[in-house]
Amino acid sequence: MNKFSKILFAFAMISLASACTDLEEDLVGDITTEISLDGIDTGGGSGGGGALTGAYAELRNAGTANHFGYYSVQELTTDEMCIAAKGGDWFDGGILIELHQHTYGPTHAMLNNTWVQQYNAITTVNEALAGNLDANQEAQARALRAYFYYRLLDLYGSVKLVTTPGSDAPQSSRTDVFNFVETELLAALGISEVSASMDLTNSPLGTDNNPYQINQFGALGILSKLYLNSEVYTGTPRWGEAAAAASYIIDSGVYQLCGDGCAVSNLGKRPGVDTDPDMLEGYPAVFGPNNDNNPEHIFVVNFDEVSGGGMNFSQMNLHYSSQFTWNLQSQPWNGYASLEEFYNSYEDSDVRKGANFIVGEQLDFGGSAILDYASDDGNLVLNYTPNINELQPNSLREAGARPGKFSFKQLGRNDMSNDYPIVRLGEVYLIRGEAMARMAGDWNMALDDVNVIRERAKVAPFSSVTADSFLEERGREMFQESARRTDLIRFGAYNGTWWEKPASEPFRNIFPIPDEQIQASGGTLSQNPGY
Amino acid sequence: MKKLFQHGLAVGLVLLFAGFSYGQKTVTGTIYDGETNESLIGANVLVKGTDAGTITDIDGTFSVDVPAGANTLVISYTGYQDQEVDVTGTSSVTVMLDKGQLLDEIVVVGYGSQSEKEITSAVVKVDAEDFNQGNITDPAQLLQGKVAGLQVYNRGGDPNGNSTIRLRGLSTVGSNAEPLVVIDGIIGASLDNVDPNDIESINVLKDGSAAAIYGSRGSSGVIIVTTKSGGKDEEIQLTYNGQLSTSSPVNSVQNMTAAEFVAAGGTDLGSSTDWLDEVTRAGLSHIHSLSASGGIGNSSFRVSTNFRNVDGILTNSGFDQFNTRVNLSTKAFNDKLSIDFNSSFTNRDQQNGFVEALRYAVLYNPTAPVFGDQSPFPFNSEQFGGYFETLGLFDSFNPVAIANLNRNDGQRREFNYGATLGYRLMDALTVNFRFARQETDYANQIYYPTTSNFNGGATSPTRKGLAEFYQQDLTFNLYEYYATYLADVGNSSLTLTGGYSYQEDTFRDNFFSLGDFPNNEYDFSGIVEASQDLQEAGFIGANSNVSPDSKIIAFFGRANLVVDNAIFLSAALRREGSTRLGTNNKWGLFPSLSAGVDLANYLGMSNVDLFKVRLGYGVTGSLPPLPGLSQPQRQIVNAPDGAVSTELTRAANDSLKWESKAEINFGIDYAAGRFSASLDLYNRDISDFILNRAVDAAIFGFNRRWENAGKLNTKGIELALNYDVVNNSNFTYNTGVVLSTYKTILEEYVVPAETRGNLGAPGQNGTNMILVEEGEEIGRIWGPVFESVDAEGSPVFRDVNGDGMLVTAQDKALDPEVDFEVLGNGTPDLEFGWTNQLSFGKWSVNAFIRGAFGHSLVNTFRAFYEPRVSTQSSYNYIDTPKGEEGLTTARFSSLYVEKADFVKIDNLTISRGIDFGAGGIDGAVVSLTLQNPLVITGYTGTDPEPSLVDSGAADNGGRGFVNTQDVLSPGIERRNSYFASRSVTLGLNLKF
Repeated sequence: MNKFSKILFAFAMISLASACTDLEEDLVGDITTEISLDGIDTGGGSGGGGALTGAYAELRNAGTANHFGYYSVQELTTDEMCIAAKGGDWFDGGILIELHQHTYGPTHAMLNNTWVQQYNAITTVNEALAGNLDANQEAQARALRAYFYYRLLDLYGSVKLVTTPGSDAPQSSRTDVFNFVETELLAALGISEVSASMDLTNSPLGTDNNPYQINQFGALGILSKLYLNSEVYTGTPRWGEAAAAASYIIDSGVYQLCGDGCAVSNLGKRPGVDTDPDMLEGYPAVFGPNNDNNPEHIFVVNFDEVSGGGMNFSQMNLHYSSQFTWNLQSQPWNGYASLEEFYNSYEDSDVRKGANFIVGEQLDFGGSAILDYASDDGNLVLNYTPNINELQPNSLREAGARPGKFSFKQLGRNDMSNDYPIVRLGEVYLIRGEAMARMAGDWNMALDDVNVIRERAKVAPFSSVTADSFLEERGREMFQESARRTDLIRFGAYNGTWWEKPASEPFRNIFPIPDEQIQASGGTLSQNPGY
Repeated sequence: MKKLFQHGLAVGLVLLFAGFSYGQKTVTGTIYDGETNESLIGANVLVKGTDAGTITDIDGTFSVDVPAGANTLVISYTGYQDQEVDVTGTSSVTVMLDKGQLLDEIVVVGYGSQSEKEITSAVVKVDAEDFNQGNITDPAQLLQGKVAGLQVYNRGGDPNGNSTIRLRGLSTVGSNAEPLVVIDGIIGASLDNVDPNDIESINVLKDGSAAAIYGSRGSSGVIIVTTKSGGKDEEIQLTYNGQLSTSSPVNSVQNMTAAEFVAAGGTDLGSSTDWLDEVTRAGLSHIHSLSASGGIGNSSFRVSTNFRNVDGILTNSGFDQFNTRVNLSTKAFNDKLSIDFNSSFTNRDQQNGFVEALRYAVLYNPTAPVFGDQSPFPFNSEQFGGYFETLGLFDSFNPVAIANLNRNDGQRREFNYGATLGYRLMDALTVNFRFARQETDYANQIYYPTTSNFNGGATSPTRKGLAEFYQQDLTFNLYEYYATYLADVGNSSLTLTGGYSYQEDTFRDNFFSLGDFPNNEYDFSGIVEASQDLQEAGFIGANSNVSPDSKIIAFFGRANLVVDNAIFLSAALRREGSTRLGTNNKWGLFPSLSAGVDLANYLGMSNVDLFKVRLGYGVTGSLPPLPGLSQPQRQIVNAPDGAVSTELTRAANDSLKWESKAEINFGIDYAAGRFSASLDLYNRDISDFILNRAVDAAIFGFNRRWENAGKLNTKGIELALNYDVVNNSNFTYNTGVVLSTYKTILEEYVVPAETRGNLGAPGQNGTNMILVEEGEEIGRIWGPVFESVDAEGSPVFRDVNGDGMLVTAQDKALDPEVDFEVLGNGTPDLEFGWTNQLSFGKWSVNAFIRGAFGHSLVNTFRAFYEPRVSTQSSYNYIDTPKGEEGLTTARFSSLYVEKADFVKIDNLTISRGIDFGAGGIDGAVVSLTLQNPLVITGYTGTDPEPSLVDSGAADNGGRGFVNTQDVLSPGIERRNSYFASRSVTLGLNLKF
């Protein structure tokens, strides 16, 4: 070879290699496009099924019943619950105190997380809507999306209404968001307005009683909540429509309040404790770990300890040592507790008092007292006191009645199986009563509906009602159902004072748009007034 | 031109000296190159002890007047070793000069090598004799403190932990911040598969112009490791190295004894236990290495076997490692074909142990008994394997039970092999082909028996016992072709290199966990079919991943030009693509240009051996840390009826590209006689960080995706000095210092400011301690300033902005009103390493002192457990002189940020050679090494070494970030720290 051909050979070798320049990346170990499989109905009720499985699953992911999201911000900002700082424990930079004392700002991590949860859910529903759905599925998906936007409307007021995956939308006013939620729900119902004479025979939504899917009654229930708060959201009251939607549900007769004779076995019963009842009957049965298909359930979130995780109340509420009362899989976190005043607002005979709270000295599986060897109150026996000595910095570890309405079962896992109501008949009665009273300007118009609820709770009926006594009753009934913040705002009580919570300014009624979202939006989101 | 210049100077100097000479004796002579016998022009001739001297003429001859009493000439010439010549009783000498080792050392620079003199970028070579000594298990530790600008920190003494390596500070934000490792030419090889005993030398390519030839993975610098090999026609030599070492903990956290704890109001459980003592031990290690090397004809070989048995200071931590390496090379066809073959195999069985045992030993009640039968109240100790547990308390586990009941074992097997074939097509043109493959298997089993309260669920009725299994396989393939062409044109020489590189790696792992075992009679990790979890769905954790083939494809070229043996130019270009990048940005271009001039030649500085000035510019990149980041990712969502669907967990970005670093380096290398120095100044701009960035959740459907955003600038100075203080046949003393300082400014970021580095539970979540802010330095610790303690025992913070309003809530950290200030910085201002080597006769002493200044650390143990929180009286208290009397509320503040300046004697080795007249032993050296014998610091935590990455908070038996480490949150000492150790090592080296 001469010199030239040798050089040529060398470069030929190199250019041979250059043939291999393919850089396509095939993600064999990841899922990059939507897949879904229908499940097998094992008798526990279908979770929505098929194309909407992922969409309904978002109800569990969107902070409905766990720490650091929607449930937390709806509850901890109210007189129902707080997380007190216990020495070094549960201070967490002050964000829990900020929620309770209404000093939250745009950098609050839980408010950001709550926002992200709702939009993640909306995206999944939008993707489902972009696929092949039949008319009924499409109506369900639109109603479900409207429900998530209802949460955003209630929390943040003015948000982006994104209806196509991957596309942007301008920030809408709170009224426009309200109108969107209303329009979507009406469209899903196949009607143009809610009235006493509305005809749902052509509705794409069905009437089948499957509480894990949105049927006509579920959509009407969400609509009734929307109309009940219309004055707060838009300045224009819509009491008539709220009452009409609620009446339609009640009058249908499809659902019944769970009262005497409506019972399930008590999965939390300890063999060594005779006072534990064998059955949960009436109000407690609506929320127990085996509350599937309760006659009061209209639209509920299907939680399951194995395949439908996302409800962690046992972990969030109980003291570490309460692990031995229910033989829980893991040691709880000792976080959420109820305020003493709220606990005391129940009469002793109220079945809801026993059902909603865990107080007093605690016994283990075998009936022996539970000891807290690291006790800080001078008594080793674990004893939940309704009184909380202080919100911070040194709340006693055993202070505060613990929320237990979504009751715990023996050998419970970190995830619970209790279904969580979004629309249930008990609330529908309260919506109708309140809407009629406000429409008439006379709180006694709510008397009948309120007394239906009180009767079930085994307390004497009211002879008359005021705004204050109605709000208290609503609080007792709807405890732990993420309703209290919205209710306090509607009754003008959110900015008032209670216990260690000072008065707050009205702009606090709408949460700040999270800073992280404003920054990520590149200027297309602007902050709510006051922040 | 150069010669003319030199001649002029020579003539001038001769005239100058001639003027002063008065001549008592004239010596003449000729100076030759000892190898080629060519005469040397312009060599320096100096009469020792006088000012008299001259330089040689065009024929290499000289004539010098030697004053009375002087009788030694010192001959020196750039590139050659100095030589002293005795001229007693003679007037004519012939001197043969040997090539200098210092200046003509060959340095591997990637796809070739250069003589050190020709290097125009910031490259440092460290030879085996300069490595750190003692019980060193991680090759990176060999270099600790030896290279200016190279940070090697192995916080604590975890024998299974890896060092954090940083070159010139933070070089990438979203990618791998560790330097690229090249072992015997194999890019991306693993340092884990090289035994420290097998390393011949390590070259560090510090700047962009040197690293640009490695393209998109060169941003964090390049470490080139050359392993030992046999020599041609060398007699077979056997070498044995043995070490016996013992280590003990130092600087453990200052907590209370039982008596102090009770006096401070702690809950008294009646016993007295030193928990730290209970979970630590004197770690005994022994290391044996045997190697054989030699050559026969054109072939040479080296085979070595290394065995390490290392026990950590934490009970049940350590490893056994077997490593073997074979290097072969041969030449054929009239030396036209060369073949080099390397392979190595490592098997390592490691006991990872539970570092949490140390954490809980610090905070566990010192009045608690180890065993339950000494409990002050009725206690069922059988449930906990006989151990005591404080039940009902968050984040509290018996440390001895953690260390003794549970098992965390790992096995790593690594096999590498590679061959390089070179063929000299003609004198000037060589082509090379390289193939290499690396296979790594790692398996990890963790077993918590039914009696373990720590992660074993001893209190759980349903979940007693847990077994976790993890298995990982990695393969890496490399194919490269490159050609080198040499051309000499007049007094210039040109070297051209060009080639193609194809790299491919794949990854596969799987994990499963299950538990609920029948009892504690057996180790059920081998009998998982006994698990009740198999009967109860939902408790079995399972996960598997298969990576795509991650490929890197590159074309590269480089030209080196040497003019006059004094002007050096180098230019390189690499075009590289990666599968990990977005479809719109697969390919990148990485250029570099550098130049150097040896001014010593031009200025004719007679006493200066080298005075090189160099300037280089280069662009390098960093790739996304994982495959698939530009693509969408969804996760499985299950529903209670068994239905399956997915939801988005990563939004796509087709435009994701490499992170880019542009660097300018200016350097001066100076050598004169016994003194040498090297100075480097650099400026680096890093842009397009690869970040998992918050995006508009409303648009993308998920609130995060990987994007390029941000700019970082680092400016720094590095200085290395070396001096032979004494150098004679009986006694030598050499000392060297390396110093470095740099400043890193975050110029642009995805948000104007954010805080990171959450302190964690109990009670201090949402407490982000590190401020990341545009226009400011990286690593600023941010928080309220402690002033005093109020009547209720709460801290009083300073009204920093003096507006009369105290804003100290953590979520107001970025509020303009906030009363926070910068409490310290996690990265050091100045780092130094000081080497001292003495030898006298057969003895030698090597003392290495190292220090860092200007950095702070958050002492998280103090932040949680130093205040006497009443509700925390069942945790032990930390008790340091920095604590505040009467403080009973735990809130993060300046109180827990400590200056962590330190100076430590890192390594002190005394060794002696022993002659054996017989027995076939050619030589023996015994040595004694002390590692970490003295640390001077005001820091009260476990270790004052800078913490350059953050592994996040962990609590209640949980783990921190296992795979991701936050580079933007330096300066936090977490509670899961392995304690530093001090060790004594006895070593024996034998040559046969």
